[in-house]
Amino acid sequence: MQQRWAAYGGRSLFVLLSAVPIVAGVSYALLYSLGLTGVMAEGFTLVHWQEILGDAAFWRTLGFSLYVAAVSIGVALGLSLALVLRSPQAYTKGMLSFFIYLPLSIPAIVMAFFIFQLLGKGGWLSRVSHQLGLISALEQFPDWVNDNYGIGIIVAHVIMATPFFTIFFANLYQNERLGEYLHLAATLGANGRQRIFRVAVPVLLRRGLATVFLYFMFVMGSYEIPLLVGSQSVQMVSVRTIQRLQRYNLGDIPEAYAISVAYTVLVAVLLGGLLWYNRKQMGRA
Amino acid sequence: MSRFTKIALIGLILFPFAFLLMLSVGRQWPYPAVFPEQWALSNWQLVLGGSEGLGNSVLLSVLLSLSVATLSTGLSFWVSRHIAYHPKREAWLSLAYFPYVFAPVILAACLQFFFIVAGLYGTFGGVLLAQLFITFPYGVIFFSSFWNERLRSMEELVKTLGGSTLQAYAKVLVPVAKGALMTCFFQLFLISWFEYGLTNLIGVGKVPTLTLRVFQYVNEANIFLAALASCLLILPPVALLWLNRAVVFRERIVP
Repeated sequence: MQQRWAAYGGRSLFVLLSAVPIVAGVSYALLYSLGLTGVMAEGFTLVHWQEILGDAAFWRTLGFSLYVAAVSIGVALGLSLALVLRSPQAYTKGMLSFFIYLPLSIPAIVMAFFIFQLLGKGGWLSRVSHQLGLISALEQFPDWVNDNYGIGIIVAHVIMATPFFTIFFANLYQNERLGEYLHLAATLGANGRQRIFRVAVPVLLRRGLATVFLYFMFVMGSYEIPLLVGSQSVQMVSVRTIQRLQRYNLGDIPEAYAISVAYTVLVAVLLGGLLWYNRKQMGRA
Repeated sequence: MSRFTKIALIGLILFPFAFLLMLSVGRQWPYPAVFPEQWALSNWQLVLGGSEGLGNSVLLSVLLSLSVATLSTGLSFWVSRHIAYHPKREAWLSLAYFPYVFAPVILAACLQFFFIVAGLYGTFGGVLLAQLFITFPYGVIFFSSFWNERLRSMEELVKTLGGSTLQAYAKVLVPVAKGALMTCFFQLFLISWFEYGLTNLIGVGKVPTLTLRVFQYVNEANIFLAALASCLLILPPVALLWLNRAVVFRERIVP
């Protein structure tokens, strides 16, 4: 009897700390965006949704978040796969097996500060370029932070994600005994290029798909890095939402909540797709 | 991999650390000087001297992260057992992924109202509770693969021999899970230690952790103190890494 109550208690606490905050948060944001709650509540209205869905800036924000995540993850995957496939053992044994973990100890806010001081117009690279005679004035240095292409944001995420994926793929390489598969492929006559692109890369990417996808969503929803090194004219979704919430114009708040709900729906759909794909793959296996 | 490539890679990895350390001991850095013109340890003495409130922020961050990690690890260990042995374990576990649908900062924005109503807005307790919402589900996912039939049999054996549930935890389950508990604790400590957006929104700047200090100094264009606060933020994880080699991080990444 006592055990049964403990089980009920445990599961209730689980629901209370995992699902309740999310359901409460989304419900509140949805009600606010529909004009049903909040200081500006004027009764049920779709006007805030019409405004954000018809606003090109909202779609640009969503598109920009997807673009930053896709480019950051794409570059990081390319670099980490190249590093691991070039020397699979280097990251699990020896000196590098320790040093490769160091970048994981840098929080996003510190990485953003570092990128700002490195790539900014008055940053370290600009100073080095000046000393080397490549530029003669600060203004000549290209806009790599607070720019419309998100270069600073992408570089920051690439620096953070590359060591992560390198460690991840190096361990996968070992766990999946990829070395033996590649040896077998070579025995069957596959050349170097075929071994990499027909065997190694597909195995690593398929096995690591869920992790890659979760990291993609993490980049898409990132806040600190775009806040410090992002542009004001093209913003990522978290920055746009929070800035609208913190403005003095109360009329912006329902729209900020509408963006939150729209973003949550998008991520939920993507996550649902991932779970469906995973289940399908498991069914096949 | 050649020795040169290895050294070049290590150099690249160490560059951000050296750069931040350089700025933390710099004083004047006019353009286009590549290095600061003056070097001094006075910024670091601010931490020890207690001025600028940096020392307090260090203590606050340590206290917050230790509290979050201790509570989340303990609760998720206990709760995950009841989830893992449930016949519909997978359905229950899918709830733990709920918080990851939101970016933490957007979650905080949507929950602000409830924290205001509960009187937790801008308080240490409020930030702690908000961080529990992202660390607790992580802990449950972490421990879900820990529970198995072998552990269940051990637990039943304790009860057959007359032991209570408490004794089963104290004498069997916790000692067996010591490694997993430590790993989970360190990972949750780091999640809390690195958190900025959610802490800023729910704490309204009244809970000035180190991440908030970095942002404050950047806004004030005080790059030397921002670099110092950054070094203080990086130090504990690097120390953990040094002590544990890669254990804490490895289990976080390996599938």
